[in-house]
Amino acid sequence: MRTISGYKATVGALTAIFWKGMKHYTRYPGSFVLILVMPFLFTLMIFGMGQFVGGSNASANFATRTGTTNILVYEILGSAVWMIGWVVVEDVGVALRDEQMKGTLEQNFLAPVNRFTLLIGLSLTDIAITSLVFVVVVGVTTIIMLPAAFLNLLQAFLILLVGLIPLFGIGFLFAGFVLKFKEPYIFTQILNLLFATLTGTYYPVTLLPYWVQFLSGALPQTYVIEDMRQIVLANQTLVSIYGSIFVLLVLALAYPTFGYAIFKYLEKKASVTGEFSKY
Amino acid sequence: MSKIFETKEGPLLRKVPKKVVAVDGISFSVPKGEIFGLLGPNGAGKTTTIKMLCTLITPTSGDAFVNGYSVARDEQKVRENLGVMLTGERTLYWKLTGRENLEYFAALYHLDPLDARKHIDELLDLVGLKQHEHMFVENYSTGMRIRLSFAKAILNDAPVLLFDEPTASLDPQSSRLIRDTIRGLKNQGHAVILTTHNMEEADLLSDRVAIIDRGSIVALGSPSELKEKVKINDVIEIEARNLSDRTVSAIETFSEVSKVAVTADPQSSEKGSLRIHAEKGKEVLPKILEFLVRKQVSVTKVSFIEPTLEDVFISETGRSLRD
Repeated sequence: MRTISGYKATVGALTAIFWKGMKHYTRYPGSFVLILVMPFLFTLMIFGMGQFVGGSNASANFATRTGTTNILVYEILGSAVWMIGWVVVEDVGVALRDEQMKGTLEQNFLAPVNRFTLLIGLSLTDIAITSLVFVVVVGVTTIIMLPAAFLNLLQAFLILLVGLIPLFGIGFLFAGFVLKFKEPYIFTQILNLLFATLTGTYYPVTLLPYWVQFLSGALPQTYVIEDMRQIVLANQTLVSIYGSIFVLLVLALAYPTFGYAIFKYLEKKASVTGEFSKY
Repeated sequence: MSKIFETKEGPLLRKVPKKVVAVDGISFSVPKGEIFGLLGPNGAGKTTTIKMLCTLITPTSGDAFVNGYSVARDEQKVRENLGVMLTGERTLYWKLTGRENLEYFAALYHLDPLDARKHIDELLDLVGLKQHEHMFVENYSTGMRIRLSFAKAILNDAPVLLFDEPTASLDPQSSRLIRDTIRGLKNQGHAVILTTHNMEEADLLSDRVAIIDRGSIVALGSPSELKEKVKINDVIEIEARNLSDRTVSAIETFSEVSKVAVTADPQSSEKGSLRIHAEKGKEVLPKILEFLVRKQVSVTKVSFIEPTLEDVFISETGRSLRD
């Protein structure tokens, strides 16, 4: 039996993992609908709360603090990035846990495909899903609310793609926790709710206490959300926000490196205690 | 190679660390073109051994070499040289079809896509699933899933093959198919290691058998060599009702009796069978029967039988394989 090696082997494995993930998504379509609907529901909830608390001054207060009167696009951008972040951070770890529960994790680990390719492959499915979420949720909202900014979405989408890389790093970290400690939802749900609070999903991070803003500055979503708002709502370009993009690129290098190192360490620990087949 | 698992037992906040020796210094080698059976009861350490060989569990001490590659240092190379079938039917993607499962794993094993397609056709044919290749695995029967798992294990045509209980929960026809294929693989020069708690299977398939109990190899040799060792004794099998532990212990004290093992009947808590190893069995049998009658044990069947690998296990451990 002939085998392939080098980039052909890696691309072949990535493609297979990607399509396997896509087939599972389409054969369990419920989660798909949820991801598409959630950003709208959360935005409506925040919108309603804002109106209730702010009363007739709500829109004016919002404009003063954010620099835009377009509440819906502002909130939908935050909401979509939050949801995309949720999917990416959770799905790499949850996908491994899912494989563990199904009994297929060991089968994947028996194959000579390296773990990094496996994790990236699981992430590729998420890239496709999250891109679709972006196009549908943000695209549709912008066309309706701010048609003039529609072309800016392409630049915003590039920011999102760069922003996904550090999120995968956080995903790798959780994948390690999942292998060793199981119970992925405890970690991911707490963290994802924390992300919504810290990264300016529904309000500017400048409203947060100074020391909390320090934490926000270490999280990639903070930059993705802010940069996308700058591009779509304030007509900025990728060039004009280069400082923020530079930080995002640094995070794109740091998070996956750190996340994968922790994953390998916890994977080794799990192999010592025989965790791969345990529920 | 050894494996000690460290666990914690007891209520929360009062957990006590506990060490469990799963595999205790076992060592064996399997040349090309040999089927090597690891026979032992559940919990003997067979699966842990297999999982250490295929890099899923890290040994606590020692090392193993698969086609010359160390499981401790060359994990990737070991995986390239292994085809593995782990026990159970949940080793496949149930929401994928049979063919999609094999195509997926072919990519993870870096098989050339064109070769893989042809090979998958052959394998599906071999395991009798060609007609059902486009059916979701969730709609397969248990037997079909196990046959597909088997096909997955030999997909990459690896020189070393590990099968963990390959025929467990299979019907006789499917079991025969798997066994015949394993023999064929041996003839093609593959080194095959299979674990089983089924002594007939170990006897039928293996060129050599290691009998494993509580993590250690207690006997190793060809099935005929191993059975020859216990042939110095007669083997008497007595099926009976109302056997008590005290009665069994008393039989063990007979001077002619070397070993006694009891197997409970899974259908009835009252029924069981005694397997007695004794010198001059014909002379001691009347004494044993008389003793059993006196103890109000109702004997339903008595027979002298040819020693099997079960008797080798009894002779080495004093227990039945099915304990």
